[in-house]
Amino acid sequence: MKYELVAGFETHVELQTKTKIFCSCTTAFGGDPNTHCCPVCIGLPGTLPKLNEKVVEYAIMAGLATDCEIAGIAKMDRKNYCYPDLPKAYQISQYDKPLCEHGHITLSNGRQIRILRIHIEEDAGKLIHNHGDTFVDYNRGGVPLIEIVTEPDFRSVDEAKEYVERLQQIMRYIGVSDCRMQEGSMRCDVNISVRPEGSEKLGTRTEIKNMNSITNIAKAMEYEYERQVDLIESGGAVVQETLRYDDATNTTSSMRSKEDAHDYRYFREPDLVTIAVPRERVEEIRQSLPELPAQKFKRYTEEFEIPEKDAEKLTKYRAIAEYFDEAAKDLKAPKTAANFILGQIFRRLETEADKEAFLVKTSAAQLNEMCKMLESGKLKNNLAKTALEKMLDSGDPVTKFVSESDMAGLDDNTLTEYCQNAINAMPNAVADYKGGKEKALMALLGNVMKQSRGRADAGAVKEKLKELIG
Amino acid sequence: MTSQIRKIHDMLVSKEISCVELTKKYLAEIENSNKELNAYITVTPDVALAQAKAVDEKIARGEEIGLLEGIPMTLKDNISTKGIETTCASKILTGYKPIYDATVYELLQEQGVVMLGKTNMDEFAMGSSCETSYYGGAKNPHNTGYVSGGSSGGVATAVGASLAVYGLGSDTGGSIRQPASFCGIVGLKPTYGAVSRYGLIAYASSFDQIGPITQSVEDAAIVFDAIAKYDEKDSTSQGGEATLPTLENDIKGKKIGIANQYLNGVREDVKEAVLSAAKQYEDMGAEIIYFDLPELDFALPSYYILAMAEASSNLGRYDGIRYGYKAEHYNGTHDMICRTRSEGFGKEVQRRILMGTYVLSAGYYDAYYKKAVNLRGAIVEAFDRAFEKVDVILAPTAPVTAFENGYLFSDETDQIEQYLSDICTVPVNTAGLPAVSVPCGVDEKGLPIGMQLIGKKFDEKTILNLAYRYEQAVDNFKETKWGVKL
Amino acid sequence: MVTREDIENIALLSKLFVDEKDLDKLTEEMQKIVEFADTINKVEVKTGEFDNINNLSNVFRKDEVRESLPVEEILKNAPEQAEDHFLVRKRA
Repeated sequence: MKYELVAGFETHVELQTKTKIFCSCTTAFGGDPNTHCCPVCIGLPGTLPKLNEKVVEYAIMAGLATDCEIAGIAKMDRKNYCYPDLPKAYQISQYDKPLCEHGHITLSNGRQIRILRIHIEEDAGKLIHNHGDTFVDYNRGGVPLIEIVTEPDFRSVDEAKEYVERLQQIMRYIGVSDCRMQEGSMRCDVNISVRPEGSEKLGTRTEIKNMNSITNIAKAMEYEYERQVDLIESGGAVVQETLRYDDATNTTSSMRSKEDAHDYRYFREPDLVTIAVPRERVEEIRQSLPELPAQKFKRYTEEFEIPEKDAEKLTKYRAIAEYFDEAAKDLKAPKTAANFILGQIFRRLETEADKEAFLVKTSAAQLNEMCKMLESGKLKNNLAKTALEKMLDSGDPVTKFVSESDMAGLDDNTLTEYCQNAINAMPNAVADYKGGKEKALMALLGNVMKQSRGRADAGAVKEKLKELIG
Repeated sequence: MTSQIRKIHDMLVSKEISCVELTKKYLAEIENSNKELNAYITVTPDVALAQAKAVDEKIARGEEIGLLEGIPMTLKDNISTKGIETTCASKILTGYKPIYDATVYELLQEQGVVMLGKTNMDEFAMGSSCETSYYGGAKNPHNTGYVSGGSSGGVATAVGASLAVYGLGSDTGGSIRQPASFCGIVGLKPTYGAVSRYGLIAYASSFDQIGPITQSVEDAAIVFDAIAKYDEKDSTSQGGEATLPTLENDIKGKKIGIANQYLNGVREDVKEAVLSAAKQYEDMGAEIIYFDLPELDFALPSYYILAMAEASSNLGRYDGIRYGYKAEHYNGTHDMICRTRSEGFGKEVQRRILMGTYVLSAGYYDAYYKKAVNLRGAIVEAFDRAFEKVDVILAPTAPVTAFENGYLFSDETDQIEQYLSDICTVPVNTAGLPAVSVPCGVDEKGLPIGMQLIGKKFDEKTILNLAYRYEQAVDNFKETKWGVKL
Repeated sequence: MVTREDIENIALLSKLFVDEKDLDKLTEEMQKIVEFADTINKVEVKTGEFDNINNLSNVFRKDEVRESLPVEEILKNAPEQAEDHFLVRKRA
C-alpha cells in the first residue's frame, strides 16, 4: 500500500525588536550569560510585564504578509508549566484570542498552505547541561516570538522545505526577523502522520520539536514518515508523542518523561490589559509593508517577461529585488538589468550571505543609467560588459569608462577606411568569401574590430564589407 | 481620632523632637514589645536611622519638609525593598533580598520616609488571622489572646500598638480592612489600579491592591494621596484622585446604601454597631437606603476560585533556582523543585496552590474558573447598578471580631469557616472597588468592631469624606498599652 | 468527587510532593473546598461579560533599550551559581 504524508508546522520566529517583549533589556544575540537581564525578565517576585508596542506591530505585519485576518481584540494568556528555563513558571502567550488568524502561503506547485494562527509570546532562557548539573542563562528569556501555526496541509517533504524558505523570505522582506535557524531565531516543530493514499482520515500524529535547519527538517520528516509506515505495515500503531530529532544518528526519539504532565492551564494574564487593534491601524500597517516576494515574482514574470527561474533568484532577497527594481526603472526591456545582475554582479557575490546583503559598488541608479544608454544605442552592447566590470570595481559611473566617441560609434568614412584596410590586408579571406565561404567574413570583421578598438558595430561592419567586396 | 501624621509633623517642624530621637523611640518600643506582639518580621534600625538623620539635616538647614517626611512607618513583608529581606512570611523566601524597590516604597523614599521594618502577615497573604505566617501570627494589641487579623496582621498590630505611625498593607480579599477592623484602626483598600502593584509580591494579581493602615482617617487620606500615582511599570495602574481637599466636606444628602445580604450571618453585636453608625449618618443628614444585592451570595466561592487559580500560577516561580529557599537533599532538578516547594510552602499555601491548579486543569476549567469569571462580571454589574442609586455602601468589615489565637486552625473549626470569615470583604476586591474600614464600636470583650464604606471606582474621596465625618462625630479609637506615647 | 488520583495529578502539575500518609486527609480537605466552590454552579444568573477589571486596553511600552542590571545583581539571590549562571547541581 502507498502512504501519504500529512504534516503541519509550528514555527517560532524571534522578532527583531530592540528590546524584549515585556521589559527594556536588549534582544541582542549572544552576550555574556545573564547580562541582558533585569528583575522583570528573571521573574523576580513583584515584577510586572509591560508589552512592547513594536511586538504587536511586527506580529500584525507578519499576519498581513501571510494574508491573515487581524483580530480587532486580542489578549494575553498564561501558559503554565514549570521548567528551569522559564523564570515565572508560566509563559505569557496568547491562547484563544491570537492577533492573526486564517492566512495562507502559496507554494510554487500552486498549493496553498493554510495558516491557522499567528500569536505573540515570550522566549525562554537557555539551559546548559553538564554531567547532570544544569546551568541557566536568561539572556534569551523574554525575547519576543511569533508562533506561526499551519493546518496539516503538507503532503511532501519538498513542500515543507519550500514553506520554510518562503516563510524566511517573507519575514526577512518585511524586516520582522532575520530567521537564522542556526542562531535559533527560527525554530520549527513539525507534526506528522501518515495515511493510506486516498484516505480522508488523519492518522495519529507525532510531533518533532525544535529543529534548527531545513536539512534536519527534511531528514527528520523522511525518517519519521518511514518509521510510521513501517510501524503500521508491521501491524503496530503510531503513538501520539513528542519527539526529538538527533541529526548525528538521523533518528527520532521520545521526549516524554514521567515528570512532565501536560496541562498548561491557560488563563487570562491579569497583569496585562486587552490589545485592541483598530481597522485604521491595520490599514496603516498594511500600507507600510513593502511589496512582497510573491507580488514581485508575479510582476517580473508577467510584466517584465523574465523567466521564472530568474525571477525566483531576483526575488529571493529583498535587497536584490529592490536593486533590480531601481535598475530596471523605465527600461523598455527590464530583462537587460536582470541579466547584468544575475550574470556579472552575481558572479562577484559568492555566498548566500553575500547575495542577501547585496553590497555592490555600483548603485542601482548607475546600472539603470548604463542600461538606458544601451537602449538608446549610445552604448554598444559589446562595450557594456567591460564597462560594467570597471564600474563594479570602482563604483564610478559608466560615463567614466566610455568616451564620447565610443558612445557616438564610428563615422562612415572611418568605417570605410577600416574595412578597405582589412580587405587589402587579407586577400585570402576575401577570395574565400567570394568562393562562398560565409565564415571568411568573420576574419575580416575581427580585423576591423581590432582597428576600431571594439567601437565598431558588428552589423554595420558586415554590411560595409559586403558592399566593398561587391 | 486626629491625624498622627500632622501631629508628628508639627513636632518635627517646631523641633520639639528630632527625627532621630523619634525614630529611636519607635525602635525601642519595637524592641520592647515585638517578642510578645510579633508585629515585625524584620526591623531595620540602620535604614530608619539613616533616613531620620537625613530629615534632621534638612530641618537643620531650615528647609521645609513634607507631611510624610520623617514619619516612622512600616511595610508589609510582601512589598519589595531593595537590599532588605522580603519574605512574605514564608520559609520559601528566607534570605531573599530584592534587587529593586517596589514603586510605593520608591514614592515614599522620595518623600523622606523613615522605614522601621517589615511587618508580619499570613504566608503569601493567604489567611485571615496572620497565623499562617512562617514566623507565627501577630497578636492583637487590644488583647494578645486574640489574633491581629489577616493577612496584613503585622501592619495592623504595629499601627494599633503605636509601633509605627502608619503602614502599607495589601488587600486581596480583605487583608487590609479586616485586620484594621480587628485592631480598631483605619484601613483603606484603594480602587484596583489606583496604587501601583509593581514590587508587591503577587497573591492574586487581578485582586491585589496596596493601601494604608492608619490610626485616623485623615492619615489614611494623606498616605493614599501620596501613593496613588500612575506607574508606567504597572500596566493596570491608573493613579488616583486626591482625597484630602474634600475630606471635611459636608455629607448632607449623601446616599448611603445598606445591602441586606451584607448583614446575613453577621454576629448580632457587630450588626448593631454598624446600624448605629448608620443612625449616626442619618443624624448628620445622610440618607440611608436599604437594598438587595443577591449577587453577594456567590461572591465568596467565585472569589476563592479565581484567587486560588491566579495564586497557583503566581507561586509557580518559587523553584529554588533564582532566589529564596532551596532544598538541601535532592536528586536532579525536578526533585529539587518539588522538595523546595513542599518544604518551603506552608500547609495553607499548598492547599490553595493545589486548589488553584485543580480549577484550571483540563476538565474542570469550564465548571469552575470560567464560570467564576462570568460571575465576577455579574458582581461588577450588580455593584454598578447599586451605585446608580447610592453614593456609598455601608457594611460590616467582618461578621465577627478578632478570633482567639489558634481558633481558625483548631480541629473543631471547619476550614471553610476561615474562608467564610472573608464574606464581607471579598466582594469589593471582586469588583475592584475602594473601601475603607473604620472602627465603630467594641464587643463585650473589648475587642474592636469595624465597618466599611464602599465607594465607586476611583471615588476614594467620597468614602474617606464620609469616614472622616463619622470619626469626628464618634471617636472609636482606643489607645492600647503598647508603643510610643507622644 | 475529588479522588486520590486527582490530588496526585494536580500535585504533579503544582510541583508539590504529597506524602502517601497525607493523601487521604488532603483528598478530604480538597473535597470540602471543591464542594464550597461548587456552590457557584447552583446559581442561575445571567452572567456578565468580564474582560479586565477596569476595561483597559492598549497599554504599551516604547521599544527603547534600557541598561540591564550587572550579572552580580541578577545572581545576588541565587542559592547556587557558577560561571555567571544560575546553577542546579545534580546532587543525589
